[in-house]
Amino acid sequence: MKECILVVDDDPEIVNAIAITLEREGYRVLRAYNGMEALDLCLNPEVRLMIIDVMMPRLDGLSALIRVRERRNLPVIVLSAKSEDTDKILGLSMGADDYVTKPYNPQELVARVRSQLRRYTMLGDIHTARREGLLVNGRLTYDTSERVLRADGDVVKLTATETKIVDLLFRNLGRVFPAEELYRRVWNEEGYACENTVMVHIRRIREKVELNPKEPDYIKVVWGIGYKMERHGA
Amino acid sequence: MDTKWNGTEPENGGETEYFVAAQVRETMEPEAEGEAEAAPNRRAQAAKAAIGFLAFVIGVSLTLGSLGAMAERLVMQRGALPDWSGDWQDTQEFRDEVSTYLLEFLSLGASGTTGNAWYNTAADTGGWRQQYTEVVVSGTLEEIHPAEAATDAEDAEPADAYRAGDKNVLYLIMKDGRIRYKNITENSPRQFQNRSFEGYNFYLIYEDGKASIFKDGAELNVYGDGVYVSGQSPWFVPGYENLQAGDWLDGVTVYMAVREEPVRYWFQGSGGEQYSYGRMYNLAQWAREARTFYLRQFVLLGLGALWLCVWLAFRREKKLADAKIAAWTGHIWTEVWVLLALIPLGWLFVTRGWGELYWACREMWWSYESLPLRQLAYGLLSFVLSGFPALLALGWVLWLAWNNRRYNPRERRRSLLGPLFRRLKKLLRELRMKDLERPVEKRLNRDNGLVLALLLLGFTCSLFAAAVALELMMRRYWSVGEWLLLLAGCVVEGALILSIVRTFRHRRLPQDLGRLHRQIESIRAGDLSKPLDLPEDADLRKTAEALNDIQSGMKSALEEQTRSERMKVELISNVSHDLKTPLTSILSYAELLRQEELPPAAADYARIIGEKARRLGTMVQDVFEVSKAAADQLPVTIERLDLAKLLRQTLADQDDSIQKSGLTFKVDLPPEPVMIDADGRRLYRVFQNLLDNALRYALPGSRVYLTLKAAEGQAETSVRNTSRDELPEGVDFTARFVRGDGSRTDGGSGLGLSIVSSFTEACGGAFRVETVADLFTAVVTFPLAETEQEAE
Repeated sequence: MKECILVVDDDPEIVNAIAITLEREGYRVLRAYNGMEALDLCLNPEVRLMIIDVMMPRLDGLSALIRVRERRNLPVIVLSAKSEDTDKILGLSMGADDYVTKPYNPQELVARVRSQLRRYTMLGDIHTARREGLLVNGRLTYDTSERVLRADGDVVKLTATETKIVDLLFRNLGRVFPAEELYRRVWNEEGYACENTVMVHIRRIREKVELNPKEPDYIKVVWGIGYKMERHGA
Repeated sequence: MDTKWNGTEPENGGETEYFVAAQVRETMEPEAEGEAEAAPNRRAQAAKAAIGFLAFVIGVSLTLGSLGAMAERLVMQRGALPDWSGDWQDTQEFRDEVSTYLLEFLSLGASGTTGNAWYNTAADTGGWRQQYTEVVVSGTLEEIHPAEAATDAEDAEPADAYRAGDKNVLYLIMKDGRIRYKNITENSPRQFQNRSFEGYNFYLIYEDGKASIFKDGAELNVYGDGVYVSGQSPWFVPGYENLQAGDWLDGVTVYMAVREEPVRYWFQGSGGEQYSYGRMYNLAQWAREARTFYLRQFVLLGLGALWLCVWLAFRREKKLADAKIAAWTGHIWTEVWVLLALIPLGWLFVTRGWGELYWACREMWWSYESLPLRQLAYGLLSFVLSGFPALLALGWVLWLAWNNRRYNPRERRRSLLGPLFRRLKKLLRELRMKDLERPVEKRLNRDNGLVLALLLLGFTCSLFAAAVALELMMRRYWSVGEWLLLLAGCVVEGALILSIVRTFRHRRLPQDLGRLHRQIESIRAGDLSKPLDLPEDADLRKTAEALNDIQSGMKSALEEQTRSERMKVELISNVSHDLKTPLTSILSYAELLRQEELPPAAADYARIIGEKARRLGTMVQDVFEVSKAAADQLPVTIERLDLAKLLRQTLADQDDSIQKSGLTFKVDLPPEPVMIDADGRRLYRVFQNLLDNALRYALPGSRVYLTLKAAEGQAETSVRNTSRDELPEGVDFTARFVRGDGSRTDGGSGLGLSIVSSFTEACGGAFRVETVADLFTAVVTFPLAETEQEAE
């Protein structure tokens, strides 16, 4: 009944572990053990998402990713032991939709898979339903008129203060707000020693929005400066 | 008193040489005997010092004075040592005098006058020549003794009576059997022939071109082997094979006798004054006097030696006197020293010592004979020796000056012109420093040019001088001196030519040196690309090659290092990847296992496997980052940030664990921003680790102090906590895998502080750990960022 996912890794045990995890969630899984096999299998129209390792024999994950992109529009999650920023940036710029480092957290991986599939299927809706005041940032959308935040299409329940913070950050994507400014604009009073208060709220929003609140993708602390919402591609 | 006798006292009395005044003073200190005996002791010391010094002065003066006087006399009297037998007739002076008398008598006998007399000699050329001897007689003979000449010699012309009054020499001169001159009463040579004059022991009879000499009744061997050698044959009288009387002496017979003990004769001068005249008397007198002179000098020498012995006995105490004198002379200006030294020098130059030197030079200039080397040497020697007392005085002045220098340090000595000299020296040094700023080849080129010009000028001048000298020397008879002079001239000219050639050949050296210098500078600046290429025949070719070797060595070492760094990083990331892959499987299956229906024990095991695998993952990640930081490959994004804010954010971020820990945090952060340049995320890890460290190892319930201070361009953050466990000493907490307890059973990876250290350094800060007893302090310092206003 559910979507078919292609899992590619040169380590069959890992492929198996991922497959079991995903199958428990109700997905169907196709397995491949190198880049060439992945290229063959991804042409199967039933495949709706691909999880691919980077370092593999015959054809490495990033090269395979580029070739897959030539043939199909398919969400791809790169799963790699390379954990550095440069590796992540490289993977995302090659066309990956998400980047998960090994050792991965099974729940997080499942959440990311789900998020990607939701976005993929909803994508059409978002674009057709685009209207005034709807802001889109990656898997998050924010309706400025209704003041509603959606993650992967699901409404995120926020308190009034949290909504104010999200409103401010969403309208100024990428801009860094010092805690004092954030406090002044959200609480409408001068903020002294407000770092803790702001941080508590930020953390709560993260827990509701982020797939892995410990390594947030959207609501970030800029250390020594302030807080911001990271700008993501559509 | 008794208490003074302890074990250390005897050491003071040990044998020690004292060389400086300060130490000498110690010898004046009373020894262990006590205060009562101090005064006499000191007085005795002072007396000894005075005696020692006096002995030194007197001894040196006497010894040097007598030696100098003897040397002077020896040189001035042309090497004549007195005859110690006491016989004045047994001296070369006496023989010369007799020879001179004979020549004069012969001259009188032949021509009736004293004047130029000669013998025929066959000296070097083999042919006969006439050797002139200038006989100088001052005054006319009448003035000497007119009366006796007139009365005693019938046949003789009164005016020609020669030295008739000086009866120390009796004579009778005959020509062709007739008596021409005499100063005896008898008119026959009988008494000469019998040698029967009372008190006269020396007789000379010249007959038929031969002289026979009798002394004390015995005949002397006059001619030796019959060949006259100048300076060696004792008698300069005709009759040698190569020294013959000329034809003009044919028929002349001379008898003369010399008194054994000459007496003084007084004569009446034309002005009525009395004077003594008599060569033999003077000669005898001189011989006698010389003996007493030398005897006296030897006595003085002995006395001097005696005094020197006294000085040797008291030489240690004498140093006290030296120091005392130095204390007095310390007040004397340097200029006064110079003047003091100039006085004896002036004395030396004014005394008659110049004479011999002058004559030697004059001789050398005008004479056509060979160079008077001996005369020159003698002139120099006599010049020095004639001023011997002056030299001695100069010596004492110099000794005083030296003594002054020895005991008075430079800054205590006084001088009028000293400051001027110092300023001049400073000025010269400044000029030199200024000059040094110019490129090396320019400086050397200029110096070389100057030297070359001077050399060429000197060469030209020396050529002129050589031409003049040659012209002068061509007129001379050449002997060793001339050849030596020629050789010296050639050596000097040769050296000059060589110097010129060398300087000219080395004109390229400055350029090469300059290039070498620039090459070294560029290597220092880090440019290792191009080698220095000097011409094959350059002097510095070898040096340049060596430098090129060093350069290429450095280059390859640098490349090697870079490659090995890169390989190290690759290795680290490969190892990290290879570790993470199996770890991923472990974690995944542990998770799957956890989801299975398992007996409670097995579920617990699965949970433990999962937890430990996760920790292993964290550690692998930590190791990876620390290794990268250690290899200087940690990517950092430096931006300007507020450290105080960062600390607040970190505290807020860690608020949960802080609340849970039960520790009290005392936070002291300045309200104003503390701007630094660093990587915010790395710095967050730094302080997160430090807080984590404090939370993990602090004594439960204790206080943790977090302070930030910005002062003197430094932002200093310190985290201070009381350790739960005893802190080991001498442990580098920032080293990898080091933990306070050493048992490795707690939750830490042992990498926390290592990460702190390497991340801080990667961001441009410094990290240190201070431990005092149980107080653990981690300090992170960063240079403050320059504010906009300061930057402008």
